[in-house]
Amino acid sequence: MDWTEKEVYPFSAIVGQQKMTRALILNAICPALGGLLIRGEKGTAKSTAVRALAAVLPEIEVVSGCPFNCDPHEYNRLCPECKARVQQGIDLPILKRKIKVIDLPLGATEDRVLGSLDLEYAVKEGKRRFTPGLLALAHRGIIYIDEVNLLNDHIVDVILDAAGMGLNIVEREGISYMHRAEFILIGTMNPEEGELRPQLLDRFGMCIQIEGIDDPDERVRLIKFRERFDKNSTEFIMAYQSRQNNLSQKIIHARERVSHTKISDEMLQLCSKLALDAFVAGHRADIVIRKTALTIACYEGRDAVTEEDVNEAADLVLLHRMRIPPPPPRYNREEKERSQEESPDDEKKKQEEKPQTQNRQENEVREEKKEKEEKDKGESENSLSQIPMLESVFPVGDAFKVRKMQMKRDRIPRKGSGRRSRTRTSSKTGRYIMSTMERRTNDLALDATLRAAAPYQKRRSRQDVAIVIEESDVREKVREKRIGNFIVFVVDASGSMGAGKRMIETKGAILSLLMDAYQKRDKVAMVAFKGEHAETLLPPTSSIELAHKLLEELPTGGKTPLCHGISLGYQIIQSYFRKDPYIYPLLILLSDGKANVSQYGGKPLSEAMEVAEEIRNDTRVNTAIVDVEKSGLITFGLAHQLSRQMGARYFRIEDLKSDTLVEILREDLLI
Amino acid sequence: MENQKVICHYHFTAIVGQDKMKNALILNAINPKLGGVLIRGEKGTAKSTAVRSLAVLLPDIEVVADCKFGCNPHNRSQMCQECVNRLDCGEELPIEKRKTRVIELPVGSTEDRVVGTLDMEHAIKKGEKRFEPGILAEANRGILYVDEVNLLDDHIVDVLLDSAAMGVNVVEREGVSYSHPAEFILIGTMNPEEGELRPQLLDRFGLCVHIQGIADLDQRVEVVKRRAFYEQDPAGFQKTWKQEEEKLQQAIVRAKELLQGVTISEDILYLIARIAIDMNVDGHRADIMMMKASKTIAAFNGRREVLKEDVQSAADMALQHRMRRKPFQKPGVEEGKIIGIISHKEVPKMPKV
Repeated sequence: MDWTEKEVYPFSAIVGQQKMTRALILNAICPALGGLLIRGEKGTAKSTAVRALAAVLPEIEVVSGCPFNCDPHEYNRLCPECKARVQQGIDLPILKRKIKVIDLPLGATEDRVLGSLDLEYAVKEGKRRFTPGLLALAHRGIIYIDEVNLLNDHIVDVILDAAGMGLNIVEREGISYMHRAEFILIGTMNPEEGELRPQLLDRFGMCIQIEGIDDPDERVRLIKFRERFDKNSTEFIMAYQSRQNNLSQKIIHARERVSHTKISDEMLQLCSKLALDAFVAGHRADIVIRKTALTIACYEGRDAVTEEDVNEAADLVLLHRMRIPPPPPRYNREEKERSQEESPDDEKKKQEEKPQTQNRQENEVREEKKEKEEKDKGESENSLSQIPMLESVFPVGDAFKVRKMQMKRDRIPRKGSGRRSRTRTSSKTGRYIMSTMERRTNDLALDATLRAAAPYQKRRSRQDVAIVIEESDVREKVREKRIGNFIVFVVDASGSMGAGKRMIETKGAILSLLMDAYQKRDKVAMVAFKGEHAETLLPPTSSIELAHKLLEELPTGGKTPLCHGISLGYQIIQSYFRKDPYIYPLLILLSDGKANVSQYGGKPLSEAMEVAEEIRNDTRVNTAIVDVEKSGLITFGLAHQLSRQMGARYFRIEDLKSDTLVEILREDLLI
Repeated sequence: MENQKVICHYHFTAIVGQDKMKNALILNAINPKLGGVLIRGEKGTAKSTAVRSLAVLLPDIEVVADCKFGCNPHNRSQMCQECVNRLDCGEELPIEKRKTRVIELPVGSTEDRVVGTLDMEHAIKKGEKRFEPGILAEANRGILYVDEVNLLDDHIVDVLLDSAAMGVNVVEREGVSYSHPAEFILIGTMNPEEGELRPQLLDRFGLCVHIQGIADLDQRVEVVKRRAFYEQDPAGFQKTWKQEEEKLQQAIVRAKELLQGVTISEDILYLIARIAIDMNVDGHRADIMMMKASKTIAAFNGRREVLKEDVQSAADMALQHRMRRKPFQKPGVEEGKIIGIISHKEVPKMPKV
């Protein structure tokens, strides 16, 4: 879709969000800056701005009719066709046009991104020819991915490959082709929907975080603009025409300036110093800061880079390269974002880095949190000074970022398919990403099948149809879908859990796991055991809200029927297997491992051990035990014993908290 | 699920109670730019019935007669590539008047059906690639209705987000590269007990209403009575409600005409901004939606001027799903708070026109 032809909200009429508009303009001036990632909550004009950018982009010269957008003035970089034309002494026709913004929709398939066999040509001529894909279209232009964090992993890999080399190498469907693919990657995302993979994150030269505007005057201005645009878009666009033109001119002037703007050694030092202060990995940041600062100076019409330029550049470049982004100013969103910023990939990245590379801001936040925790501790200890003998309902403890459980979850799918939480499915659901010759599922990939058959059509006897398909042509779809893990919480709600702050912490732990489960869109179920028996509090559901509500209301008190609890949890998993054999179930037991109610009339603890062994023998089920026993003078270590018996990963409740980063790291090395 | 065909004939006006939901749907019928509505509620609260019966009330639109996407013949920038090409060739586009469509997106839909795919027949017969339009193409300029929207597959939601945001469906799959206009009013129903909606999709709905079963005894009896009447004597039922239905239809047409001329004062705009800030909403879509909705409400009430009351009912619908939530907190608005903000900020009363 050519956005320049549509009636798009004018770029120069965007209210506020100067940081975003500036970052976009800087990228338009200097493609070498390496693209931009815009993170922000919904409704902050992210997509609007990128689409609007197309209208103010400068013009470039391309070889007219060349699908690869060759630059007519650079002989060495021409595509083979253009080169051949030059060698034959033909003058390349030159076309001046605006830089293009190419949309990459989330549902894109591999063949369209890379390019594939030209079907029509193959049928007619019986020969194979390459038909260019989006990467070819985007050469010397911009690829825009809306909701980039939702893009399919495989497609991301393909794009990263090309972006890394500036080349697209195609070896598929009997075609071998290579063309240049140098493009600016612009992505927008709402962090609420999950984080980006670090490899992709690093690919973006700049990253900015944007928010809604708080100033009422600006907000009213924004509503008014929007009202005018809705009423008569053509008129509105006309009214902004001169500003749009001015902006375009400014960009063009800045482009011309790039080659003779200077940066002093002093400023270069500042670039590196800022990068050092942010504890970034590698040297990429320094380089991008320098380039960005230069570009800012050009845009401002200056010949030399000033300190402000460097500071502004560092602000744009360092956000996603710092170990942890600075905390957002408002507190109420802090927790939310913290939990989201901790995707497992992030963690891996962090673990690769040195633990002492924590920036000051982060420490501050931590201290704040510690204070808060201490306050909570004080409160809860007051109210729980004696062990409650009767049933009581404890509040839900502080939620924290889940760290270790994800390491655990990471390993489960790897057995099966090697992709975390996402897997290739064999049922006919999920997103079609590419095709295969392997025949397994009867899930016909029509396009690939046709392409496979096309080159042979001249030799096949065709009656009424243009394409005859033979058995050997058939290709099947490879689909990918997020496999929601299925998590069954088995919660000990017996009297012993009332001691200290165990139940509060346990509830906090479950809440954290629930929040994590929500982002991965897992299904959850919950079993609680206390008194004489265990009970299914929550049948398998994806309503995390409901689980949270039940958790709040969960009472504590009575004896400990551990065995019944575990076996009930196991039963739920077994019955769910019948419904969906593709799930990865995970049973999480939160208990201190004590048992004093028998299910079959034997010894309570040995019964539990027996069930545990049964679960260990079922290889489909993964288990984890969170030991809530306080480490103190007298510990029984029963939960640890149980975990060995069950083949479960063993965690102490403290281990789940990620705040103790160093400790986790050390433990990781031990494992 | 009851028989769809039968439900289609149940009259919108014959639905007992549920005024909030009915209002939200009517507002969308008046002003398609409101961006749809999400109806949250328990089972059996006439959600689906209302949406399906809305089709009858919707005004006629003019389309390019032989265009697969039902392009608007009067606006070049909203046309598909073929129509633009035809215009460029100097061709006169044939115009046809038809009802606004309500297209249903079944929860089990596959991605190729939703966004469109390679036309198999054409490819095999002619050896050429051609795009076969999907549900999004059908829904262009109409209503896209998703029952149980929270149960939709994740990757279907992703493609919906893409096109709902910009009104264009970009297809780059299965060897086809195509894009066409896909501007639709998104109407979804969901039962929150079965899980929440993803935040990004939630925001794509302009308005949101929360409905409950009716607690009033008399009204409940009335529901059963009307249903029984309808099942026993559909023709008689139709006769009884025809008049009401026509009345509403006319009201919608009148409001549509009036809407263009509705003005909104500076004070009211500040009030809207104030509400958005005080309620601590995400982003700016809430402001824009409150502005549009309050204008539409004013038009529906036959006024050319937006009043505080309009803003209040607009805020109620536009903010429900846009509040920043604590983890697992149910989405919703404390109604008292909005009233508090509105009454705190003094806005001069406008004389009725």
